Amino acid sequence: MSHKMIITIVVVAAAILVLYLATFTVDETEQVIVTQLGEWVRTVQKPGLHFKIPFIQTVHTFEDRVLEYDAAAAPIITSDKKHLVIDNYARWRIVDPLLFYNKVGNVDGAQARLDDIVFSEIREELARHTLTEIVSVNREQIMEDVHGQCDDKARDYGIEVLDVRIKRADLPGDVTHSVYDRMNAERQRIAKKYRSEGEEEAVKIRAVTDKEKMILLAESRREAEKLRGDGDANAIRIYAEAFEKDPEFYGFVRTLKAYEKSLTKETTLVLPSDSEFFKYLSPAK
Amino acid sequence: MVQMPESKWSNTSGGGGGRTPFGPQIQFNPQWIKWVVMAVVALWLLSGVYIIGPDERGVVRRFGKVVRITEPGPHYRLQRPIETVNKVKVEKIRRLGIGFRTVSPGPPARYKFIEAESLMLTGDEQIVDAQVIVQYQVQDPNKFLFNVKGLERPNGALMDAAEVALRQVVGKRPIDDVLIGEKLQIELDIRELLQRIIDRYDGGVKIRVVKLQTVRPPKQVAKAFSDVVSAKEDKDKVIKIADGYREDVLPKARGEAQKIIEEALGYKAERVERAKGDVDRFLAVLKEYKKSKDVTRKRLYLETMEKILPGIRKIIIDPEVGGNILQFLPLEKGGEK
Repeated sequence: MSHKMIITIVVVAAAILVLYLATFTVDETEQVIVTQLGEWVRTVQKPGLHFKIPFIQTVHTFEDRVLEYDAAAAPIITSDKKHLVIDNYARWRIVDPLLFYNKVGNVDGAQARLDDIVFSEIREELARHTLTEIVSVNREQIMEDVHGQCDDKARDYGIEVLDVRIKRADLPGDVTHSVYDRMNAERQRIAKKYRSEGEEEAVKIRAVTDKEKMILLAESRREAEKLRGDGDANAIRIYAEAFEKDPEFYGFVRTLKAYEKSLTKETTLVLPSDSEFFKYLSPAK
Repeated sequence: MVQMPESKWSNTSGGGGGRTPFGPQIQFNPQWIKWVVMAVVALWLLSGVYIIGPDERGVVRRFGKVVRITEPGPHYRLQRPIETVNKVKVEKIRRLGIGFRTVSPGPPARYKFIEAESLMLTGDEQIVDAQVIVQYQVQDPNKFLFNVKGLERPNGALMDAAEVALRQVVGKRPIDDVLIGEKLQIELDIRELLQRIIDRYDGGVKIRVVKLQTVRPPKQVAKAFSDVVSAKEDKDKVIKIADGYREDVLPKARGEAQKIIEEALGYKAERVERAKGDVDRFLAVLKEYKKSKDVTRKRLYLETMEKILPGIRKIIIDPEVGGNILQFLPLEKGGEK
């Protein structure tokens, strides 16, 4: 009984040990290659539990996630001879672990290799474009081109480059100052423009106002003269209609009235003694 | 001394395995050891129970391979070397900021601004200071956990992508559009581009909202920009004053115009009325005159003479005496010639 138990324990322990040595797990985030005495046997990219021959087969584990490559910011020159400081990054993944293992070894080695590939491609591609194209017009297209070329080259190392992107494209420090100067000048221009536009508009409003005032008054004066004319005409008609009834008497009365008005103190009137008025002054007649 | 354990050994040899050199008080009992083993096993099995919160999903891996995603509630998994579980808060709205870091969430919240991130070139080669907040959610916990290394880390994949999207979208527009007009469109464009970048990494993340936090000119040019604002106000002010002038002058002018017309109307009425009056008077006189023409005529004449003659200098001459009036004139004038 006791011997049996010891044997059982030993057997179980041995089984566990063998199982431990003969299996390996591949995580969702990993991929592995299995080598047998230094020689590649197989590549395992499926996660889960796998078997190997203990002692003579070795497992090398690699990342299966999307990894980061972040370069230090570096100056480049655009096709229109402007300087830019480019801070770019790339995302990449190991697609062929064996190739990767043979050519670059590990992630650090890959970083160095990507540095060579990505930076030279970027510098080369950006040198073909103007600053405006890089910053504004077709940054995405330029970066897709860079990405394509980098991906082609990285495949030799078992690496897939998912994208290459410009994180920051900034002007160097001294150029930044002149940009600020330009921006200030631009804003001062706009401010001046607004103020002048205000003056322009105000002067226009005043001028139009004065014009409208003059027109208004002129129109009313014209209307007024017409009214006065109407009044005069009416009066003339009224007078004429009445005086037509006896022009001779009107002439008489009106003449008398005119005498009254025109013969003032300064007048010297020479009267013949035989005039109507003096008819009774010389009774001899 | 040597005999004692010897005898003990012989006493309990039937049990096997249990070998205790310490005193006889511990009685080796197969029943007892069975219970201990059962308790340990039970505890070990129970430790496989785990609870997924209402806002979570559990991702269970067996030997590293994802075998199931568990919903909220209690669940069971096999023990450590075989199965592991990761809990992911899928309902939680996650948040990251570009251009600033939250120093303390407050209130009041304190932020640290990072100009290197927030200063960027615009489409017309000017520089703008823009900060953005990205809100996102886990869409696929499996992809979220295992596809991208350092997805949420500072300067990890998400932050990098957000920065790229912000700069690319702002870089496409002139500064005035960024500062004033197209905030909403910019936010939508950033969201769309950011989602596209993250999808390429298969990051299992859904971008919910992108909000431009502050968008302003850099402090080196802030004064000039605010002067533009006040210039605009100056413009409005000057125009308002001119409008005031207009509103002052025109009603007065209308009043004056009305006055001119009213005066003319008055003149017209006066003229007509006076004419009517004169005519009435004339007609009345005429009526009487017609009744006795000669007398009236004579009377009118004399009355007029009466009025005139007293005031004026008169020379009366006899036509039979002096034929020429002129010869008398020098006498009167007193040597004027």
